[in-house]
Amino acid sequence: MNKLLLAALVSGALSMPAFAADYTILAPAAPGGGWDQTARTMQEAFTAEGISGNVQVTNVPGAGGTIGLAQFANQDAGNPNALIVGGYVMVGAILTNMSPVTLADVTPIARLTGEAVAIVVPAASDIQTLDDLVAKLKENTGAVSWAGGSAGGVDHITAGLIAKTIGVDPTQVNYIAYSGGGEALAAILGGQVTVGISGISEFASQIQAGELRLLAVSSDERVPGVDGPTLKEAGIDLAVQNWRMVAAAPGITPEQKAAITADVKALATSASWKAALETKGWVDTYLDGEAFDTQLAADIAATETILKDIGLVQ
Amino acid sequence: MNTFELLGQGLIAALQVQNLIYALIGVTLGTAVGVLPGIGPALTVALLLPVTYNLDPAGSLIMFAGIYYGGMYGGSTTSILLNTPGESASIVTALEGNKMARQGRGGPALATAAIGSFIAGLIATLGLAFIAPFVVKFALSFGPADYFALMILAFVTVSAAFGDSPLRGLTALFIGLGLGIIGIDQQTGQTRLAFGVLDLLDGIEVTTLAVALFAIGETLKTAADREQVEASVMAVKGSVWMTLEDWKRSWGSWLRGTFIGFPIGAMPAGGADIASFLSYSAEKSFAKKPEEFGHGAIEGVAGPEAANNASAAGTLVPLLTLGLPTTATAAIMLAGFQQFGLQPGPLLFANNASLVWALIASLLIANFMLLVLNLPLIGLWVKLLTIPKPWLYAGILVFATLGTLGANGAMSMGFGSVRISFELVLLLVFGVLGYLLRRFGYPIAPVVVGLILGPMAEQQLRRALSISQGDPAVLFHSPISLVLYAVAIIAVLLPMIMRMRGKGAVLGQLASDED
Amino acid sequence: MSVGQSNSTRRPDGAALVIAVILAAISIIIFWQTSQMRVPPIQQRVGPTVFPYIVAAGLGLLAIGTLISALRNGFPARSKDDYGPIAWIIGGLVAQILLLSTAGFSVATGVLFALTAKGFGRGPLWQTIPIGVIFSFIVWFIFARGLQLSLPMGPVERFIVTGSF
Repeated sequence: MNKLLLAALVSGALSMPAFAADYTILAPAAPGGGWDQTARTMQEAFTAEGISGNVQVTNVPGAGGTIGLAQFANQDAGNPNALIVGGYVMVGAILTNMSPVTLADVTPIARLTGEAVAIVVPAASDIQTLDDLVAKLKENTGAVSWAGGSAGGVDHITAGLIAKTIGVDPTQVNYIAYSGGGEALAAILGGQVTVGISGISEFASQIQAGELRLLAVSSDERVPGVDGPTLKEAGIDLAVQNWRMVAAAPGITPEQKAAITADVKALATSASWKAALETKGWVDTYLDGEAFDTQLAADIAATETILKDIGLVQ
Repeated sequence: MNTFELLGQGLIAALQVQNLIYALIGVTLGTAVGVLPGIGPALTVALLLPVTYNLDPAGSLIMFAGIYYGGMYGGSTTSILLNTPGESASIVTALEGNKMARQGRGGPALATAAIGSFIAGLIATLGLAFIAPFVVKFALSFGPADYFALMILAFVTVSAAFGDSPLRGLTALFIGLGLGIIGIDQQTGQTRLAFGVLDLLDGIEVTTLAVALFAIGETLKTAADREQVEASVMAVKGSVWMTLEDWKRSWGSWLRGTFIGFPIGAMPAGGADIASFLSYSAEKSFAKKPEEFGHGAIEGVAGPEAANNASAAGTLVPLLTLGLPTTATAAIMLAGFQQFGLQPGPLLFANNASLVWALIASLLIANFMLLVLNLPLIGLWVKLLTIPKPWLYAGILVFATLGTLGANGAMSMGFGSVRISFELVLLLVFGVLGYLLRRFGYPIAPVVVGLILGPMAEQQLRRALSISQGDPAVLFHSPISLVLYAVAIIAVLLPMIMRMRGKGAVLGQLASDED
Repeated sequence: MSVGQSNSTRRPDGAALVIAVILAAISIIIFWQTSQMRVPPIQQRVGPTVFPYIVAAGLGLLAIGTLISALRNGFPARSKDDYGPIAWIIGGLVAQILLLSTAGFSVATGVLFALTAKGFGRGPLWQTIPIGVIFSFIVWFIFARGLQLSLPMGPVERFIVTGSF
């Protein structure tokens, strides 16, 4: 009862349905997107496994998740039943948008899934391997146009990191931003740009069909079912992962945090969660506790550096 | 097996009684939710998709197809009857459709929209079945420079919606363009005109602006005008059905709308709204009585309504053949397909042939159900107009705010324990703007058109110039862009020539109307 | 014909002058805000500031055009509008915005419903507010419960759905 009183006092918002649901999960994105699907899959697995009786998902889309994050940090402070889904894209968005609320204002619980970034060219391209691409970049960086997601997102960051690692000026990277995977894919297939860079799932079926040639994936290890080297194997010492995570509200007690972590861990190891990952093609990269905190801090620092190098953040 | 056999099998599957019932439920739900102002097809599909999850894949797909077409069609009803389009693709429908409704011709307007939607849906769905691979090749050949040319064409055609004053029309368009700048610039990630407000970073939502300018603005204007409040509405004057003349004037528009809408819907950066704008201006150019435009020309309803439905089927071309979701609705659908382990993409037709053909057959059935459901209901819909004004407009505002809250309802601002939804504040501000524009004789549609086209034109131009490393010659490189520029020039010149040739006749007409 | 009359009277249209001033102000704001922008050193031939400048310039020209039109009385005749009903409806929208987070969807939207009806001359409020709240609750129930749309809950919704406040 004390917890509930505290929650009501701190947030002050009666709109918080703390009585009706065991957990509320905020998806800081529109219905249908990756974060929304993560939240809804969690909802299903939480109830199917009996970890939580009644789970509600709320969508608060906008600005790379920073709008949802700001609302969550303000309204749900101290609420031990509130969760928010997020990911690497949020790290970049917080920096480029100069968001007043950062991940330090919530309580990160665990990393759930991860996806490798893929670098592809259309089948008709004269670029056969990553080495060919590197040679072209070194010859004339601006002549290589990259199609990917929004500026400052994980695709853009990876392109910048590749340039930096091979020793060309990241500000010269000719990055063309598209609003969604679909539009970028159309530009790549239509031969409008030199290379495409985006999450592997966006390209997987085209690679399988032979319409696109995979030059490399950004993960530490090869992606199962996809025939292509990692960046490291192809000679670029770099690994990037577009991960998704779950965080809890700020201002909760260590005991509450431990309880939530236990629930999330039970979720992540459950059969229904694993089955859902299988059907959606997500890779389980579960990580919690101090290891996750360390990795998160490292990612934030690296992202800030590269965004400054590209020139998107001052 | 050839395409006909596959489609035949799909149809047999879809025609089972149980599947027909699913189609009927889907169409009914889709229309019922889509008809509410502020709730467009994307939100309708997102809301109703989970309803289909509990069915088997075939039943689910067929109900889904019904929801999709129902949602598309539902938007036009309030647009015509109440001048409150719920989404961008039915804005131009309101231009002529609402004028018709005010003359007691709401019945024929709804009928031409329903039949036009059916014919467009039928032709476009068959197009999806038989020529999708060719259409998609054409759509993919559009580069940023070609899209920019298409936007220029669309801009030229906006003037068709300017009404009687170019000055006020252009002002309305530039207000929209100005609103379009607000938010994060996609190419550089820099914020523009956000004034430090977090909620403005994603820009102004088109639906919010459209619902505010039309639904709220219309409510305020009607309430302020005592004559309008007290005027008794004649819901039906003459027949509820289309007259022979209506048919004669509509069929050409339906076909033109279909042929404009289908390819534009298939383009990754096209969309139903652009298709409906282009169709409206094409109808105005081809019309035998262009002077009727702005006063309830049936062609101006028939063409755009056919175009936006054809475009809805066109959207499925890149989705099914390439796995490309090109609209918010398509992205939600993609998520829906994945529920049954279907991965749209180049291998979909090979790996899941029976399900794909079942979907295409479902679309045909859903389209037919839509007609069956809606034609008899027109008489009922028209009765909406007889609801006493206080209750009618109070209801419109309830649904307009509900749709806005549901789509974008973050309570991100506030003081103390009171949290405020910024989107509703925008709805209020733009609603007042909509009232003021009406009061001072400014057209409404160009504002929304500016917000839609401005950012698209800018992004495509900058992409084209970035890829070419700054060489402006790229803009005139491809035959597609040259053809589009040529059409744009003709679109400007043709009405002028027509006007000069037809001037005598029109002036004579006006003179005789005078007394 | 209103055009003929207005050309002969020649008294400047005050409201139209205000519109011209507002357009000019928007133009200046866009110019000023854009000039404050930091343009990143990325490969961009046409940068993020070009379009805002074009729009600002266009609005500036339209302000001048509006000014000329105002002086020549080029605006169409306006209807006599009552501001009372507008105040009721705007009041309803403001009330809804303020009430949503604490009172919940049904009460806030019920007030909007009643004030709008009042704007159209239907009252009294003690009758229309309950009608509005009941109507809004039904709508809330269908969309929030049936279709999982996220709409704010308040004491009313919580009491009816869960049986306790």
